[in-house]
Amino acid sequence: MDLTFNERETAFRDELRAWLAANDPGPRPEDADEDATFEWMRSWQRTMAADKWAGVHWPEEYGGRGATITESAIFFEELGRARRPLPANVLGIVMGGPTLMVWGTDEQKERFLPHILDASEHWCQGFSEPEAGSDLAALKTRAVKDGDDWVVTGQKVWTSGAQYAKWCMLVARTDMDAPKHKGLTYFLMDMEQEGVQVRPLRQITGSAEFNELFLEGARIPDANVIGGVGNGWKVALTTLMNERSGLAFFLQVRLRQLLDDVIEEAASRGLLDDPVVADKLADLHVKAEILRLTAYRGLTAIEKYGQPGPEGSLTKWLWSDTNQQLTSFAAELFGDWAYTAGNRWAYELMRARGNSIEGGTTEILKNIIAERVLGLPRLK
Amino acid sequence: MNFDFTEDQHEIKRTARDLLAKRSTFEKVREHAEAGTYDGGLWKELAGLGWPGIAVAEEHGGQGLGVVELAILCEELGYACAATPFLGTATAALAIEAAGSDDQKAAWLPKLAAGEARGALGLAGQLIPDAAGADVVVVAEDGGLRLAGGGDVEAVDAIDPTRRHGKVAGGAGEPLGGDAAAALDRALVAVAAELVGVSQRALDMTVAYVKDRKQFETPVGAYQAVSHRCAQMLLHTEGARSATYFGAWAADAEPERLPEAAAIAKAAASEAGKEVTASAIQAHGGIGFTWEADVHWLYKRAQLDAQLLGGARTHRAAVARLLAGRLCPRPSWQECASTASCSSRCCCSPRR
Ligand SMILES: Cc1cc2nc3c(=O)[nH]c(=O)nc-3n(C[C@H](O)[C@H](O)[C@H](O)COP(=O)(O)OP(=O)(O)OC[C@H]3O[C@@H](n4cnc5c(N)ncnc54)[C@H](O)[C@@H]3O)c2cc1C
Repeated sequence: MDLTFNERETAFRDELRAWLAANDPGPRPEDADEDATFEWMRSWQRTMAADKWAGVHWPEEYGGRGATITESAIFFEELGRARRPLPANVLGIVMGGPTLMVWGTDEQKERFLPHILDASEHWCQGFSEPEAGSDLAALKTRAVKDGDDWVVTGQKVWTSGAQYAKWCMLVARTDMDAPKHKGLTYFLMDMEQEGVQVRPLRQITGSAEFNELFLEGARIPDANVIGGVGNGWKVALTTLMNERSGLAFFLQVRLRQLLDDVIEEAASRGLLDDPVVADKLADLHVKAEILRLTAYRGLTAIEKYGQPGPEGSLTKWLWSDTNQQLTSFAAELFGDWAYTAGNRWAYELMRARGNSIEGGTTEILKNIIAERVLGLPRLK
Repeated sequence: MNFDFTEDQHEIKRTARDLLAKRSTFEKVREHAEAGTYDGGLWKELAGLGWPGIAVAEEHGGQGLGVVELAILCEELGYACAATPFLGTATAALAIEAAGSDDQKAAWLPKLAAGEARGALGLAGQLIPDAAGADVVVVAEDGGLRLAGGGDVEAVDAIDPTRRHGKVAGGAGEPLGGDAAAALDRALVAVAAELVGVSQRALDMTVAYVKDRKQFETPVGAYQAVSHRCAQMLLHTEGARSATYFGAWAADAEPERLPEAAAIAKAAASEAGKEVTASAIQAHGGIGFTWEADVHWLYKRAQLDAQLLGGARTHRAAVARLLAGRLCPRPSWQECASTASCSSRCCCSPRR
């Protein structure tokens, strides 16, 4: 057991820290202004890409640094610690690119990968539908072969960043007769066409990170099928796995900073002497530490055994739970001020409600833990 | 970065699990709990294997290994809920090694390491497991430690009959002059490790039971009210495990991080132990409430362990004090005067 970074990891971290100290995207635009925020994150990604920091876990041949997964964790941890934002095309970098590296042809990798990192082509994830959320494989959007193209009809929902996206990771049904997991195909769909209509969806925070997609006769060339016709479920799982593991460390650090800010704010109001407040803040600190440590255990398990141990499935759940408790407690602690529209804590309070829904609901995670980790029977 | 045991440590864990599965079955535990005795045969065997002295220095007759190895044994003995005076003896030895004078070490460590003397450790005036019948008791009082004798112990029956409990009044015995905090923090990690083992056993028993038990023609483990409870038990157990292993590692490798790590480990493990064993009873239904079902040994052990050296609330208070102590001496909008007393988390730190 050695919980210190080795020489290579330390060198990586130090180089990154120096870079982050020297590079700063400036202040974040007002939360309500999504377009300005996106531009701000996009230009930040260009800055990162110029010095090969946009996709550290990508192989060098694709513009990355071939970082180990521990280094990749360090990357997200340091990015969060320096209070720098994620790159704009985070879905492409964390989920899309790695999916292509596993399932894409050489031509596809050559065509798509460089533009993910340099922020010239933004990606979005078109999985969820109005009637297929947790039960993703029940999705109904259809793709029908027409010459060298596929023609797509259907509707997607909760599609984050679709308004800025050039490419959509789209899962559609290509075989109506096959069992539900077998009839799916994974496509890269060009968002800039007549048949794709994007309508923003306003969230409880008032802003619109996600959208509805209306697909009516959208065309996708056969060359943009990823991983083969009928293999969409497997390819989608690769994307989802990368979603869960890729961002874990960034989110963990975000939570850490939010907690530090609550503690500082509470101290400046003289609230730390209240034993009830102290107890709750300490409890949140304990949970934040457990989250960090459990995430590190997960990294070691992957590096040593090639797959996450039981702890891998626990971190997203623990993060969303803790972040919700934290933001709820913070708002209660700071009172009316924190419930005033536009206040930072008001935003955090509301945004945290999405944590236990996005990327797989807590109930679904519990099902996965019960069935796959504990081996409990599934309800028929 | 390698947050996993070494091959040797894994081997210790496997060996302990196998040995205890054979030698300390619940049948045995029940037999000794009902008779109010320790399992003397098992204790001799463990002593012969050098377990009580695993973390005692070789010059004092121990194996010279670390708190990580000790935590592994504590976890496995908790898993077995074994009726031995191991925890008291091992934590007393830890404290004497960390805070004792040369004479005190020479007097006690070889005997404790060999299992020839029995020890215990706890707070003055509070229930101390393994105290009744102990030859030496390390008693914490007002931030200091004292070394009391077996004669200072008043035996008390506690709800956990797998161990002999007792109390020692404040002021008894001779002072143990060294670093009391370092000694107690190591002991906290050992107790937390036992709680992790207790939790893991409660989880394993529950999972096995709910897979098997059918109601409404369905294994009850298929119902989400039950399966999600099991998932929650896993979350508690693994969280306590992460915190405890970190504490054990800090004790051996980065003692400056131990005060925080030990408080976090004990807070997390105390809560996990109580929650998980209570859930185990619930998921077993009526059987879980019976003397025969054996779940209650774990529940009772968890209560006493959670209380030992202070419960979750006590250790969260310690965490809160550490957090407050790290705050920047000046409000964040002012220029910081000095960075000497500031931590990495401080607003004036370059790492922030
Ligand atoms: C902020 C945010 C961003 C998102 N971004 C994207 C995106 O970019 N792309 C994308 O494709 N999707 C995205 N999503 C969608 C997200 O993945 C889904 O909302 C999620 O998978 C849940 O599906 P649903 O909303 O249809 O809820 P449902 O599946 O209808 O669930 C409703 C309730 O029932 C529970 N439930 C469902 N099934 C079970 C079961 N078997 N056992 C127990 N309980 C169950 C759920 O936990 C939930 O509480 C986003 C969601 C949010 C909140």
